Amino acid sequence: MTPAAPLLELDRVSKRFGRVVVAESLSLAVQAGDAVGMVGPNGAGKSSLFSVISGDLSPNTGEVLLDGRAVTRLDASARCRLGIGRTYQVPRSFGHMTVFENVLVAAHRGAGLAAGAARELTVAVLDETGLRPDANRPALRLGLLQRKRLELARALATRPRLLMLDEVAAGLTDPEVRQLVGVIQAVRERGVAVIWVEHVVRALVGVVDRLICLAGGRFISDGTPEEVLASPAVREVFLGTDSGGLPRAGFAEHGEQGGRPPSDGDSSS
Amino acid sequence: MAWLNAVVQGILLGGLYALFACGLSLLFGVMRVVNLAHGDFAVLAAYLGLAVITGLHVPLLWSTLAVAPLFAVVGYLVQRLIIQRSLEVSPLTTLLVTFGLSVVLQNAMLEGFSANSHSLPSGWLAAGSFRLTPQLSIGHFSLIVFAAAVVVIVSLQLFLSRARLGRQIRATADDAEAASIAGTDVRHVFGIAAAIAFATVALAGLAFGGYSSFDPGAGTQRLIFAFEAVVIGGVGSLWGTLLGGVVLGVSQALGAQVDSGFGVLAGHLVFLAVLAIRPRGLLPGRVT
Repeated sequence: MTPAAPLLELDRVSKRFGRVVVAESLSLAVQAGDAVGMVGPNGAGKSSLFSVISGDLSPNTGEVLLDGRAVTRLDASARCRLGIGRTYQVPRSFGHMTVFENVLVAAHRGAGLAAGAARELTVAVLDETGLRPDANRPALRLGLLQRKRLELARALATRPRLLMLDEVAAGLTDPEVRQLVGVIQAVRERGVAVIWVEHVVRALVGVVDRLICLAGGRFISDGTPEEVLASPAVREVFLGTDSGGLPRAGFAEHGEQGGRPPSDGDSSS
Repeated sequence: MAWLNAVVQGILLGGLYALFACGLSLLFGVMRVVNLAHGDFAVLAAYLGLAVITGLHVPLLWSTLAVAPLFAVVGYLVQRLIIQRSLEVSPLTTLLVTFGLSVVLQNAMLEGFSANSHSLPSGWLAAGSFRLTPQLSIGHFSLIVFAAAVVVIVSLQLFLSRARLGRQIRATADDAEAASIAGTDVRHVFGIAAAIAFATVALAGLAFGGYSSFDPGAGTQRLIFAFEAVVIGGVGSLWGTLLGGVVLGVSQALGAQVDSGFGVLAGHLVFLAVLAIRPRGLLPGRVT
């Protein structure tokens, strides 16, 4: 369904902070419209990998390619305008601006829209993410759920072709997670590729058709969610580091047993 | 009546201080940079104004049309070429770099314009005044400067809250990295903020030159007054900066009324008192 070059490609990307290796020669291809879940213990390098892709961090070696073109030397705003959108694990709203303005800035610059069109997109995104009632509140007055939604809304307003979600479901209740999954499902159906890092694995399985496990800066497993969660290497990583926070295979049928490691909520890199 | 006069003159002088301070406040509010060369750039603007006024034989007010836009360009370039690089190293580096800029500017001006003091010929503006009572008169020039300060601060506030670019500036001030992933070119936005700040510095420098004589070393004291106005008003709040300038001006004028040598010291004392009692300033806020 796509021309030769994948939407996103990582070519032997490595990132180190001093002696800590957060990405060790990672290669990856994501096609337009793909939905990829990413799991891994805290500190595995998931958020850092997102930052390398979004342009918040530069890799030590390797290239990030978008549509086959290297974007490694472009800054985050240029990559955003080329279609990479992301959320942050800890919401980073513009606290002194209203919810509406938070999203409007992204619609103007990220999506490159003129005033009228940017406002229309902002309203549409606020409706989609359920934030419309809060449109005129300053972002710093929002609760966690609303701030998580605002992260998603701001990313959507940049009209991404690749949306990277960093633990948008963490800390939410089950009904909230279900509602969020609905929004992401709808985004996916519009052809937006999604890479979703999440500890709440049951939120992932409804949306993704490919799962990658990242540990110690390496991809230790990559395949369908069932394959990956059944993989001995993945089970060992989860048992070894989170003593029992293992996402179970077959969780989809059994519902709410999904793996949320005990150290949930803590920074993953 | 002399006291009332002191208050009125202090308020008007406060306009000048606010004009000085708003550029400092904006740069700090948006990119957390304290520009230690702020006062020296103001003095440079006064020298440029002098060159324009004497060279082109235009009045002081017209010279602002040449100097302020030029300074906006200078501001953008200084930000992109000098301050941005140091900002990417560490916040402390920006202090060292702007301090270095200050030293370079002072010495370059000393070389170029000698140590003699100059003042800007402000023509009829300097002489004219509205005489309200025998003891209370308001100079045309100080009234224009005060009005300019209010207009600058009101327009800046409107620009930041309503304009597209203003919104980007606020977003960047809140979280530059997040603004970047929302598509904002942070370096350009910083450049624009610096351009605005430098244009206001130019206005402040020209106003200062019309008020009193200046020499290449005059910038340091201007910087201190601007600092005090920003801190008294509350860092990052433009309304606070206007208020801070007025409080500083009134304190100095009242102090000078007590004893002619006490004016500047009175300003410093009020500044210290605000720091001690309300360290966040009278109207604390962010660039909003």
